[in-house]
Amino acid sequence: MNTEYVVEMRGICKRFGGIHALKDVDLGLRRGEIMGIVGDNGAGKSTLMKILSGAYLADEGEIYIDGQKAHIQNPQDAFSLGISMIYQDLALFNNFDVAKNIFVGRELVRGPLGIFLNKKSMYKKAEDLVREMRVDIKSPRMSVASMSGGQRQMVACARAIAFQSKILIMDEPTAALGVSEASKLLGLIRNLKNMGLSIMLITQRIPDILAIADRVFVLKGGQRQDILEVNKVTLDDVVTMIVKGKDRNGNQTLEIGYKSYG
Amino acid sequence: MDQNHLSLAVKEKISKIDLSNLKKYTVIFILFVLMALFSLMSPYFLTWRNLTNIITQNTYFIIVAIGLSFVMIGGGIDLSVGYQMSLVGVVTAMLMTVYHLPVWLAILIGILLGTTLGLINGLIVTSIKIFPLIATLATATVFQGISYMISKANTFRSYPEEFLFLSKGKILGIPFDIILALLIAILVSIIYTETVFGFRLLALGGNEEASRLSGIDTRRMKIAIYTICGFFTAIATMVMISKANTTNSSFGPGTEFIALTAAIVGGISFMGGEGSIQSLIAGVLLLAVLGNGMQLAGWGTYAQFIVRGMILLGAVAFDEFQRNAKKMIRVKNR
Repeated sequence: MNTEYVVEMRGICKRFGGIHALKDVDLGLRRGEIMGIVGDNGAGKSTLMKILSGAYLADEGEIYIDGQKAHIQNPQDAFSLGISMIYQDLALFNNFDVAKNIFVGRELVRGPLGIFLNKKSMYKKAEDLVREMRVDIKSPRMSVASMSGGQRQMVACARAIAFQSKILIMDEPTAALGVSEASKLLGLIRNLKNMGLSIMLITQRIPDILAIADRVFVLKGGQRQDILEVNKVTLDDVVTMIVKGKDRNGNQTLEIGYKSYG
Repeated sequence: MDQNHLSLAVKEKISKIDLSNLKKYTVIFILFVLMALFSLMSPYFLTWRNLTNIITQNTYFIIVAIGLSFVMIGGGIDLSVGYQMSLVGVVTAMLMTVYHLPVWLAILIGILLGTTLGLINGLIVTSIKIFPLIATLATATVFQGISYMISKANTFRSYPEEFLFLSKGKILGIPFDIILALLIAILVSIIYTETVFGFRLLALGGNEEASRLSGIDTRRMKIAIYTICGFFTAIATMVMISKANTTNSSFGPGTEFIALTAAIVGGISFMGGEGSIQSLIAGVLLLAVLGNGMQLAGWGTYAQFIVRGMILLGAVAFDEFQRNAKKMIRVKNR
């Protein structure tokens, strides 16, 4: 099936107790694009992405992957559909080295019942991967506990790429990084796009988005505002929409969702 | 200036030492220091007889500690192993001495019971999301009550001869329980280092949320480790009651403290995510040597409690120190 969208989310709703985190949100991700997901704190960015990655279940709504209806109940389901999410808190294992981090949950195995680890292949594959990505990680045996924030992001990326994910979701990847590390990471993200991945990037750093994204998806108070084409807007346009919503005049119609910050 | 330079160099050196190895060797080092110390204090300490005694008296502690290590590496704790032993012990003893069941059947039922107790712990810890420390403290009390209700506080003795093979039998001149403990140690060591299960267990203890997001069924893993702990605890119970050749409901409690201390002394972090069987065994032996040496040196039993408690504190403090040292290295590298 050849549809324009690799991911389509329709009518997504999510409540946490009394808080209405997402209200009837529609989103379409084009094949091979980088889409920025922006919005103020509590706008629902992470929640929306976690629904796609299987970390949360939506209360209502449908998800289509490559035009096919998908039932994502847990991270494993999302993963088998080719969706990987790199979490803000990074979800790395400090007690493991690079190779082990890459393969947790998807170990390479050997032996008749597949109960034994194939450590040799895991280290070999990890080394190839790190080289292919051209990132500054010296050895797959390096412990991630002693790594810098940028290196840790790269390990998380390697983890996603190792298993041929088609869709990569990144939650504030540059938030904790210094200027040079952040720009290195943005370069890597661009490389990933060139490798054929479709990428969604949650961020508060709007300039990052304008530098690498094709489109920007704006959420406010759990509601979709608009999708902007990056080459047709300015930083101010994006910020204004994040703060005031779709109606630039800031009319009360848009303040309905305001209470649901959470 | 010079001093700055020096301290930098020292810091560099420190950051290069692999801290997990440091901990592993520390236990073995302290074990040898203690042995040297006690052999100076008592001429009986460093005799073949005394040393083999130390090992055979501790085989069941080793087996319990190995069982407990599954739970602890996974980031949990099981304080109920002592009362699991009490309950499994009296049930197995009664099946043999009161109901005269065949030995193999009594052992089988006992082990099944122990495994079930572990399963119950696992289900409780995962379904009511409370600290395993509290959950297993509660089940410990429940197991204690059931144990005394079943035994009616009676003592059971004179087991069938076959049952005593567990503690008195020898294969090729080596006591059977030593062989059993050794086989279990080797098996579990392979599980930890070579299997997917062992790998995921370390992952679970290292970062539970990340494990879940990686697609690991953390709930099932947790249930599994408490169940495995119950299984090995039951095996240890068989060795314990066979060795004593008698059982009542007070047999077992206290074991959890020694197994827990040994595990922490042996480098299994209180926070989960790391541990090795070799140092775990070294941890058990360290406590055993300490107890034995103090006994020979005439310090009596009560002083041992004080020393054990202090060792537990020291080991946890060391674990914490190591954790902070790792963090500092990370900050430095940023």
